[in-house]
Amino acid sequence: MDTSTVKIIIQIIHYLFFAYAFSAILSYIILAIISGKETMEYLKRNSFVNYKDILSSTMSPSITIIAPAYNESLNVVENVRSLLSNHYVNYSVIIVNDGSKDDSLEKLIEAYDLEKVDYIINEKLKTKPLRSGVFKSKNPAFEKLMVVDKENGGKADALNMGLNISTSKYVACIDVDCLLIENALQKMIKPFLEVTDAKVIATGGVIRIANSCVIRGGKLIDVNLPKNLLVRSQILEYLRAFLLGRMAWSRLNGLLVISGAFGVFDKKIAIDVGGYDTNTVGEDMEIIVRMRRYMEEQGRKYKVSYIPDPLCWTEAPDNYKIFISQRNRWTRGTIETLRKHRKIAFNPKYGSFGLLSYPYWLIFERLAPIVETVGILYFAVLVILKEVRWEYALSFLVLAYLFSVLFSIVSLYSEELTFHQYKKKGTGYKLVLLSALEPFVLHPFILYAAVRGNIDYYFNKNKKWGEMKRKGFTSNTA
Amino acid sequence: MIDYQYLIDYFEEFPFLIQLAWRISGLFLVAIFLLTIYLKVIRYHLRKKENEYKVFKNQYEALLVEYLYADEESEEAHTKQKAIISKIKSHIPIKYKRKMVLSVLYNLLNEVSGEMAESIKTLYYETGLIDYALTKLENKNWYVIAKGIGELRRFKIEESYGDIINFIEHSKKEVRNETQLYLVNLFRFDGLTFLNELKTPLSEWTQLQLLEVLQKFDDQQICDIKPWLKSKNDSVVLFALKLAQIYNQFEMKDILIELLSHDKKEIRICVIEVLTHLYGIEAKEMLKANFNELSIEEQISFFGLLEKLVVPSDEPFIEKHIFHKNFEIQLLALKILKTINLDKFMGLNKLSSNKKAPVMFKFVNNIS
Repeated sequence: MDTSTVKIIIQIIHYLFFAYAFSAILSYIILAIISGKETMEYLKRNSFVNYKDILSSTMSPSITIIAPAYNESLNVVENVRSLLSNHYVNYSVIIVNDGSKDDSLEKLIEAYDLEKVDYIINEKLKTKPLRSGVFKSKNPAFEKLMVVDKENGGKADALNMGLNISTSKYVACIDVDCLLIENALQKMIKPFLEVTDAKVIATGGVIRIANSCVIRGGKLIDVNLPKNLLVRSQILEYLRAFLLGRMAWSRLNGLLVISGAFGVFDKKIAIDVGGYDTNTVGEDMEIIVRMRRYMEEQGRKYKVSYIPDPLCWTEAPDNYKIFISQRNRWTRGTIETLRKHRKIAFNPKYGSFGLLSYPYWLIFERLAPIVETVGILYFAVLVILKEVRWEYALSFLVLAYLFSVLFSIVSLYSEELTFHQYKKKGTGYKLVLLSALEPFVLHPFILYAAVRGNIDYYFNKNKKWGEMKRKGFTSNTA
Repeated sequence: MIDYQYLIDYFEEFPFLIQLAWRISGLFLVAIFLLTIYLKVIRYHLRKKENEYKVFKNQYEALLVEYLYADEESEEAHTKQKAIISKIKSHIPIKYKRKMVLSVLYNLLNEVSGEMAESIKTLYYETGLIDYALTKLENKNWYVIAKGIGELRRFKIEESYGDIINFIEHSKKEVRNETQLYLVNLFRFDGLTFLNELKTPLSEWTQLQLLEVLQKFDDQQICDIKPWLKSKNDSVVLFALKLAQIYNQFEMKDILIELLSHDKKEIRICVIEVLTHLYGIEAKEMLKANFNELSIEEQISFFGLLEKLVVPSDEPFIEKHIFHKNFEIQLLALKILKTINLDKFMGLNKLSSNKKAPVMFKFVNNIS
């Protein structure tokens, strides 16, 4: 190859990088605009809705909250209390103790006066067998609660057990350590009951970070900004993702993921597609993709809905080790799901699902860390070869950085105009400052975790969930 | 002095792309600065508004309570009431104050009834708040119209019926929902006549709201639901079925039986459930005869009906389904058999070759 050919190849690589970065930024801007419009529309639609009627109606559809628990002994009693304090009239709670090695079950038995009951399970979905059995409370105050003790099979398996046991039309799949706002269920059920021109198959909720918030008796009392920079940065990241991203995908009916921490599903469809996949670490994304695929293949009109209200609060990782482990798992989950359903990619048979949502996830979620890493390595090579054209490099770095800061501030702006959760004086400044710092304190670790996730996916197939040690809300209580 | 010309010349020597990148960066920087300031302003205003809201709310609450509890016979009280009205009148042209007055009035309306509620309504008229609500009905934005209808519903303004009924088939479901709630809240069962002609779908969300409103009334004398059970609008039929169940419409059994052959599966299933509730024994033989033609969901519902309405002569039919491949049907069949013939049930336990059956027999056997 002569020098001119090499130069042309290098030039093409430069243009490809440029085109990728430009289209990513453009897509973020477009999604943010759509999100803004959709959020405003949502707020208008809900400004005169009376949720109280649904709250007290005995005709309202039944919902089962399914919460898998594994070694949650520290907080399980408090967390269940929170789940039992929802204001919806027609709901039940199934705690699936997924082979915990600690004393979670004993604590639940003692706290809720549980006794073993005869129960026959309609095994529509294959799961690990029961261990100690099914428990219900002798105390009528806890009649909504059922505890199922089974052999360990992972989160997806525990959720499938819940799906088998539930007798409700709708199921809310939730992490047991999540705190639900009292009217969460009626807000989440609304799209299922309201939409008449399509079948709503699932509704996703926003996840907010509860670290440092004041929680008493399973209720959120006060919202605080955590001191830990990593947790704080995740708050900003969640605001961006949920307020400026998912709302737009909801509008486009292109949501591919509903957070595993809180989502409501049409149980029949969830079972018809085979329930949660136990062979993936990204079961929350995978089931949505599979449900959508099923509906598309059946030619049925459907919708995956999304509720932007802050209904579910959870504990975020507060150290880099656990954070990286979590993001590593998310990356592997995305790769597994996209690979499993690759038939959808660019397939006009699947409409906008195949031509828009899937390609977006593939190009801007799946490939982003790879492109970024290749870009960094390429840049390093150029630095070593003293081939960097610094006037270009500097201008583009500054541009990318400022865009990232601006985008974060827009998400803060959107939060203030809509849900205004961080009310305390001085919090605004801290969040703006964080917007400037976040590209340094969070993004490099997200990239590292994503790269590790890719490596683990291809070279360490045995890696499963990874560790997530909880401190629990009780320790946050003021 | 800095030589700006040198900097400008230096910048202009850059290729177009770099110049563009720096220019956009400059724009971003300005936007960041402006948005940061704006964010501060918004946060300040939101906090201020929140504090003001608390102050005004207390103020209005005190005023309105004074108005409501004033002795109407006394001249002094009457003058006071007039003063309160004119004070509120002077505040309500400001939108957020009007909103606050309305919110206080809503809260009061939820807590009082009878004469007090009538006094609030009078106040609503005299302060001119009603005019603002009526103006909303002429607005081009759907959400303003919906808010206006909702407000007139809460204050039970019957005179707006003529204006509001025009929105019954509005293109926005929120406006339709508010219109329907208005009609039922104010005119009770008579308000449901809109169902006769309704072409747009009545969502389940709206249906639940309407049922909740209806159940709050003392007079539970329901109107004729026959035309709605025969409606071409499936959502109206489903709503009528709910009414039939809640209000025990035994006299509708014949139409319900006719509905068992409705095109929509969802309706057929719902009909079986209503018939179960209404002891629709007449439907049993018909469903039994067509059992194999029914969908699995209908078959399950039918077994639900049998569980309630079974008689000994149903035994052969039940027996035929105790090894049904569907879990729910098998379970229900065994439960029913145990109820009508315990000896036969006990005997079957030994004969079973079905893998799952022994567990299910044991389970049903243990049920008291």
